[in-house]
Amino acid sequence: MTQRTNVVLLAALITATAGAQDVSVYGTTMAQMWKQDISGDKRTMAPAAQYLGIDASQLGTEALSLHLFGWGRTDLGDQSVPGSKSAGDLTYGYLQYRFAEANAEIKAGRFGITQGGAMEQVDGVSARTDLKGGFTASFFAGKPVLYKNLEGAAQKDYEYQHDFIFGTRLGWRMSKIGELGLSYLQDGTTAAKDLHVPSPVDYTRRQMGADIHLVPISIIDFTGRTLWDMAKHDEMATAPSRIAEHDYTLAVKIAPTFVVTGNFTERNFQAYFAGTNMPNLFRQTELGKHRGYGINVVLGPASAVQVVVDYRNTKRDSYGEANRFGGEVRWTIPESKLQTGLGLHRVLADNVISIDDRVPTYSLSHREIRAWVMYESGRYSASLDGIRQSFDDKHNPSLAGVSSQYEFVGSLGARLTPSIKLSGDLSLGANPLFKKEVRGLLRAEYRFSMARKGGK
Amino acid sequence: MFRRNTLLSLAIMLGLGVLTACGMLSTEKSFAGTHPQELGAGRPQCSSCHEDELKGAAKTYASFNHSSTFVKDHKVQSGQDGNVCATCHAQSFCSDCHAGKTVMKPSTKLGDRPDRATPHSGNYLTMHRIEGKIDPTSCYKCHGRANNDKCTACHR
Repeated sequence: MTQRTNVVLLAALITATAGAQDVSVYGTTMAQMWKQDISGDKRTMAPAAQYLGIDASQLGTEALSLHLFGWGRTDLGDQSVPGSKSAGDLTYGYLQYRFAEANAEIKAGRFGITQGGAMEQVDGVSARTDLKGGFTASFFAGKPVLYKNLEGAAQKDYEYQHDFIFGTRLGWRMSKIGELGLSYLQDGTTAAKDLHVPSPVDYTRRQMGADIHLVPISIIDFTGRTLWDMAKHDEMATAPSRIAEHDYTLAVKIAPTFVVTGNFTERNFQAYFAGTNMPNLFRQTELGKHRGYGINVVLGPASAVQVVVDYRNTKRDSYGEANRFGGEVRWTIPESKLQTGLGLHRVLADNVISIDDRVPTYSLSHREIRAWVMYESGRYSASLDGIRQSFDDKHNPSLAGVSSQYEFVGSLGARLTPSIKLSGDLSLGANPLFKKEVRGLLRAEYRFSMARKGGK
Repeated sequence: MFRRNTLLSLAIMLGLGVLTACGMLSTEKSFAGTHPQELGAGRPQCSSCHEDELKGAAKTYASFNHSSTFVKDHKVQSGQDGNVCATCHAQSFCSDCHAGKTVMKPSTKLGDRPDRATPHSGNYLTMHRIEGKIDPTSCYKCHGRANNDKCTACHR
């Protein structure tokens, strides 16, 4: 769609809220400021950002509603991010019709969708419904929302191949057992080889998925999915597997206050990275895989004090193994409106083999501690959040000879009216990029609801 | 030609699907559009109020409890039961972390909400060079096809 079409559609959607019985407008205005000094290049950053959302319901009929959300940013000081001093995006803007039965709904416009293996942003339509016999069906189609972050010809190739996206999922639910689903996703109908100058990279995706969520007895909860890459990759070396992903998690509730969870994942890079718009980073030419398994034990999952002990082993073929273990405690005290948490983790990882003779190998192993506390009464709020990482090997080229980094964020807020809240954050830190880093942030959050009385 | 055939097949399948599905629609009442009560502080545990099965989802309320595992990994639940999520969460809640393109990292936007366990706390620019080597697939979920214009500053 052209920019002009987008603006006309957006204006038409906003105008449509005039007929709504209930309109909620909500947003967050944020202004940040920090100073930056990299090798004598001093800059003052002062980006201002605006998030704005509109939810309008009962548009003529009770079942029809409109939902809009987007943001804009402008730099009041030096340029804070690569690209431009100002930017913006419509995250979503769609009309939704919800049926009174069958959890059926239709959406049209720009929306985010999660469905089987798909997690997409689409300009188009989607529909879902429950069917008799425990079946469910869902479908979406349209133009994928594209991001212009490739250069020149590569971006044109990418856009040419991503001309149309559609996906569908069929599910089957059995009471007190769970759900099985099969899904298909196709992103792009035009192959790389059909370009005037055939692209060396096939950006299209054809993905089959199977998902499962079983709760056969109350103490067992099993979720997972497998994704298959169905696209042809003639121009590349043969992948070791067409399975893009296995990701399965089993939770066993041994007692109401004691849950053990195990997880297994395996991702084959070529199949998993199919369709990326960053082929230089997510390389489909890496034919290996990443495999991980882990376990975590939760004490008091639904109580005021929750303790989690976790362990995870991962292995990347081209790199090696890493073991992450540690624990965290969360404490919620509703009477005093206080929440607090403490986490400690250790990562022991294989050394990276470097091409630099001066540092032939270096370690990625590190420790992490995070502690936070948050108070939230009806009117006032305050929080303090601190994180510190210490690294085993300061010769890691990413660390610039620094052996640790930290950041503390303190926040104070006041709710001026039930609809308006003001808050300010101050963060202090030191890291390999900045010897000292001080950032300030002001935040205004508001929500106004205009419910009309008197019915239709 | 390929595109035309694909679209035509799709339209035929959709038409047949709609006709067939209309006679097969469930008569079960849809989920509420919004949760009737405001929730208290902390991660909600659906089963603390609802003991039985969530009709229409064919799962117990307990399977939607916001445990630490659920908060960190809820892709299967959102892929199967997005409309259950929508009872309490507007799509803007999801886009706090999962926007296709966003202006700042979630932990900065929600700097006053450390309880949300948002990703990329602290100076993640340094940490991503460590965690990305160990597991690049964890980056791909959010930055593989979207929200990666900042990545291209270095990864060209």
